[in-house]
Amino acid sequence: MMQVIFHIPGPLREFTGNRGVVQVEAKKGANVREALQTLFVAYPGLRDRVLTESGETRQHVNIFVGNENVRYTGGLTTALSAGAEISIVPAISGG
Amino acid sequence: MVRWRSVAPMIGQTLDHYRVVEKIGEGGMGVVYRAHDEVLNRDVALKLLAPGAIDKVGRDHLLREAQTASSLSHPNICTIYQVGQTDKDFYVVMELIEGRSLTELVATMALSMETVMRHGVQIADALAHAHERGIVHRDIKSSNVMITPEGRLKVLDFGLATRLATEEVGDLTLSHDSLESKLVGTLPYMAPEVLRGQKGDHLSDLWALGILLYEAAATVQPFRGKTGFEISSAILREPPPPLPAAVPHGLAAVILRCLAKEPAGRYQRASEVRAALEALQGALLQSRQPHPSEETRGPRTLVLRGMEHLTVKNGDVLLMVGTNKGAFLLRSSRERARWDVAGPYFHGQGINAMAYDARNGRHRLWVSTNNVMWGTFLRSSDDFGRIWTNPLEASIRFPTDSGASLKNIWQICVGREEAPDTLYCGVEPAALFESQDGGESWCLVRGLYEHPHRPRWMPSNGGLLLHTIVADRHNRELMYVAISSGGFYRTEDGGATWQARNSGIRVVFAPEKFPEFGQCVHKIALHQSRPERLFLQNHWGIYRSDNRGDSWQDVAHGLPSDFGFAIVMHPHDPDCVYILPVESDEFRCTPEGHLRVYRTRNAGGSWEALTRGLPQKGAYETILRDAMSPDSLDPAGIYFGTRSGKLYASRDEGKSWKKILDGLPQILCVKAAIIQMDGAPAPKRHSEARPAAKRKSAHAQNAKRRNRR
Repeated sequence: MMQVIFHIPGPLREFTGNRGVVQVEAKKGANVREALQTLFVAYPGLRDRVLTESGETRQHVNIFVGNENVRYTGGLTTALSAGAEISIVPAISGG
Repeated sequence: MVRWRSVAPMIGQTLDHYRVVEKIGEGGMGVVYRAHDEVLNRDVALKLLAPGAIDKVGRDHLLREAQTASSLSHPNICTIYQVGQTDKDFYVVMELIEGRSLTELVATMALSMETVMRHGVQIADALAHAHERGIVHRDIKSSNVMITPEGRLKVLDFGLATRLATEEVGDLTLSHDSLESKLVGTLPYMAPEVLRGQKGDHLSDLWALGILLYEAAATVQPFRGKTGFEISSAILREPPPPLPAAVPHGLAAVILRCLAKEPAGRYQRASEVRAALEALQGALLQSRQPHPSEETRGPRTLVLRGMEHLTVKNGDVLLMVGTNKGAFLLRSSRERARWDVAGPYFHGQGINAMAYDARNGRHRLWVSTNNVMWGTFLRSSDDFGRIWTNPLEASIRFPTDSGASLKNIWQICVGREEAPDTLYCGVEPAALFESQDGGESWCLVRGLYEHPHRPRWMPSNGGLLLHTIVADRHNRELMYVAISSGGFYRTEDGGATWQARNSGIRVVFAPEKFPEFGQCVHKIALHQSRPERLFLQNHWGIYRSDNRGDSWQDVAHGLPSDFGFAIVMHPHDPDCVYILPVESDEFRCTPEGHLRVYRTRNAGGSWEALTRGLPQKGAYETILRDAMSPDSLDPAGIYFGTRSGKLYASRDEGKSWKKILDGLPQILCVKAAIIQMDGAPAPKRHSEARPAAKRKSAHAQNAKRRNRR
């Protein structure tokens, strides 16, 4: 097992007991999707706000591992190393 | 010890007209089953009381308590439908509640303080309602509080569960052995005076509420111990351990006041607890400390929202206004001269659909909230906007095999009076969803979704959406929907099969002018007193059908433009229709800068412009498809909102108009309703179409747990 760290954006902290940083235990060599599943078990309100029901990242949500947007590193299958910091960040959009 | 007979023989049996389906829980007083009400064709929870419980407390007493509790009608109290007895059995039939108990929620996830307060307000409100009627719960605990998938809180077992428990309290505090009984789970919630042998009253309910809030905020109960003696001793003598630092000071103060050892030191009414928690909800945002990482991420605007809510009375007119940046609520007396405004609710979110459901004694507002980042959720309020549900999981979701994802909810439609738990939603991508349990769970209507035409429906400017649902109130199998761009579809078998009915409706954006389907229908309207006749605003063209959509005639005689979006019926006159023409699909504004409503009083034979009070110069306005609504008073009120954020009202059927609000964000929907409170004479009903359908429910598959005790 390994620890990974999630950074939770303000609007979603309602579902993490107001925690901005959440540590979860993922299996060794887990990818982003698997780490997210672990996060969603602990904080079920996050799931439908980060992913669509077909399991894709929402259009205006970006997921970073470290400083790299996973859109450019294999999406949710991006592999994680122990201690990885994953940020869930709303994209620039509006109207 | 209470004993009851084996569960198995009950399955399949019928008590009165309730067929027992399966066991779903069991507690100190008996076993709870899911049963099917064969008369009203709905699932219920049936609690069969253990013979031991009846012997101990007495049949007449139990019956009296259950009957008293059945008089409670409150959105946060599990409704008791019936109490009954046979020669052997005493049973209580109640609302079937699907969801998770607060105990389970606290065990599996960290609740935010905002959630703790929201739950606390609802429990306090339920207690206030019961206490005002002389009914004490006596067994408030987290396992007696259910949170439905939709996020609504329900208190179970009012007046039922604890008569036995209080009778046995004496035994409990004296005997180690009895701590193995069912009562152990209740002991941590017992007030000091109850442990001393007094009968629980409304102040001991408030103590239990304090324990429950402590548990929700701190995730542990305040008074713990390895034995019943240790727990009792802590309750009687020790102060509650300090709450974690994350619990706001104000919330901690409310909890500690509920936990005053002497009843006189507590709040004296549940309504005081509710008021204290409500005040804290407004202040929570101010007290929240920013996370260090937030401070390094640049400037922030902190908006302090101390929102004034509406106070709504019987007979009031309620206007629900959805904008692209939040929802607003307005109320007025029947005179409709002065309006109170509350909002914005759901800051920054697009509100495409709102609805009011007054069936079955409810006062439920429905809203679809679309957050561009975090998705679309269906939410509701039972107290005119003070508290809204905030479901953990989206209740409307496409099944995995469809491969589709919900983009938006464009229409919320309450079902017929005779099917008070039926609701419909029209969504994007174009699909119809149905709920048969008051909006807790939803199913895709496959008959329409798997229609062979579907692959050839085309997205319109706003997307591929099902935006209108209309049904025949007199024929529960008959229902209509409109899809942009797919056209007009009708079902005659409650939604199992659908037929395109677009004969005579023109298409301007394809070589074939009158295809079987593919029309960009913008809105349809029907008057329930003439259910065979429909009116339709098309993407160019106003049409009428006199045969339930079999054929359509153009009725845009003499209008400045037959392009537009909104079309509504007069509530009492089936020949009277209101529209708001705009100039063209390229220039979607009111023609020549005149803001004019057009009305026909002869079913489209001719149209007249209604202009008094509306700007006739430089008013280049757009009124979207759901942004006009009638009320049901006499004379009728007509309301519409513009994309530029102006809200207009007429209280004389369109003769004159008044701008009642300005400066709102883009108005996406306007819905009017007349409020009818309990026991009050019914005002004239809103004539908006109410759809009908009856199909087997697949909701049971979605259920996680039901009425666990």
